Amino acid sequence: MNTEASAQQLSYIENQASDARVNIELETEGMTLNLGPQHPATHGTLRIIVRLDGEQVVSAEPVMGYMHRGYEKLTEVRTYPQVTTLVNRIDWLGSFANEVPFILAAERLMEVEAPARAQWIRTALFELSRIANVVLFLGDMAVQLGATTPVFYAFRDREFVLNQIESVTGGRFHPNFDRIGGVKDDLPKGWIQETKDVLVRINSFCEEMEDLVVGNEIFQTRTRGIGIIPADTGLAYGLSGANIRSSGVDWDLRRDGGVGLIHDQLDWKVWTHPDGDSFARYWVRLQEVRESCKMVGQILDGIPSGPIMAKVPRIIKVPPGEAYVETENPLGIMGYYIISKGDLVPYRVKIRSASFNNVSITPWVLKGVYVPDVISILASLYFILGDIDR
Amino acid sequence: MGISIKVPGLIKGLGVTFKTLVRTLTKGSHTVQYPRVKEAPTLRARGVIALHEENCTACMLCARECPDWCIYIEGHKYKAPPRRPGGKPRQKNALDRFDIDFALCMYCGICVEVCPFEALFWSPEFEFSEPKLADLLHDKDQLSKWMETVPEFEEYEDGSEAKQLKVPR
Repeated sequence: MNTEASAQQLSYIENQASDARVNIELETEGMTLNLGPQHPATHGTLRIIVRLDGEQVVSAEPVMGYMHRGYEKLTEVRTYPQVTTLVNRIDWLGSFANEVPFILAAERLMEVEAPARAQWIRTALFELSRIANVVLFLGDMAVQLGATTPVFYAFRDREFVLNQIESVTGGRFHPNFDRIGGVKDDLPKGWIQETKDVLVRINSFCEEMEDLVVGNEIFQTRTRGIGIIPADTGLAYGLSGANIRSSGVDWDLRRDGGVGLIHDQLDWKVWTHPDGDSFARYWVRLQEVRESCKMVGQILDGIPSGPIMAKVPRIIKVPPGEAYVETENPLGIMGYYIISKGDLVPYRVKIRSASFNNVSITPWVLKGVYVPDVISILASLYFILGDIDR
Repeated sequence: MGISIKVPGLIKGLGVTFKTLVRTLTKGSHTVQYPRVKEAPTLRARGVIALHEENCTACMLCARECPDWCIYIEGHKYKAPPRRPGGKPRQKNALDRFDIDFALCMYCGICVEVCPFEALFWSPEFEFSEPKLADLLHDKDQLSKWMETVPEFEEYEDGSEAKQLKVPR
């Protein structure tokens, strides 16, 4: 080896060493950020472990189960009428909608059908609970992005819907009103007119949100192009409801499902948005509230007279068999798989709730986004903790 | 409609809040100052359960159907004197204890619904909070007192075939 070559080699090694020194100085250390379990942006006790590189998210992992209440197991020791009061507590903002698929599945097993009036009342309350749920989202999404006004408007106008639900069912949040073979009670006098007035309010609330939130430039900058979920990825992760419709998938079980509700007799439209970002999810839900108002208005005009209860035995024993019914709930698709062995209690109940699937896309969608966008994406996915953990 | 001036969304949003401000100043706010001003709940509101003691036969249906078993009933049977002379003594049910633990109650209304003798009713009364949890166990005297607050059943909407019920007084 001559001296020239060895000098070359030495300088090469020196360069390498200096490069390595620079790399050591520039090397950043990742940080783990626990978003939650007690965080205002998580609607409850969801914890998201976010691994950060600077301001960018490297990986995110939702930790569920802080609010697990064991409803699937509890239903095995509760009779069928008692289960409805339990499942009210799954999605607590739109609680009546939780009862409907369970009752429909039990009705399918018992081979009874609710009378027409009961079905119309059921659908009206189903859509009212959707309005109560999504109206709160419309304000809540804005408050998580830093605007405090819309959430107060949302709470103000949601109260009118809850009052209407209360004056029929007796409960603002936990109606426990749906029964196998019909509904518990008939509508009180004057309810139809009061509800029509409330629908006017909700429509004006939607107008306000259109001006206050959707048209706001700051809101658009924070949400447009943030957290884009392509349609095929969303479908692969099992997204449902407005989350998948805002990715351009025209899929709504109220129209396509053909379960025992009367949505097919009403004139309404399924809204989709091609973008699939946070803004699209907000916009689609805003349109859905308007469609629900339209539906409830039509139901109130055309509600048929008749009995509200089919003939069912006083002690409900569901014949052996299996049934799965899913409906388009405010948060997405909710389904109940009931296995009955002919007993007073279900043998096994599997609950498919929308938020569990909606939140399971977070590791995919949060990868590579910046920290402030994490909140915007989580808010726009709109999950409810009771619906995740059950 | 000709030329439309593009108003920035921020200004438009401020217009909404300004409109609300004017409405609040002229028509008053939506909230009420609770302890001084009270909002009446709807007549069907599930506030507290009232017991009409004369109708109760201690049949235990409500206690059995309760999802979290918060109703405690004890009763005994006794022989009442016959109605007319020479008849057999009548079997009667007496209620010794009827307690509802409102600390456990889920306010689902199943007990009111299953009662075959119309002894239980919902009252919209909701102000019965207690500093001690154990005081939420209401005995039958307390539950009978709630009977005064039970409103009459509401009339039904047109087209209903449901039977109008009456509250026994």
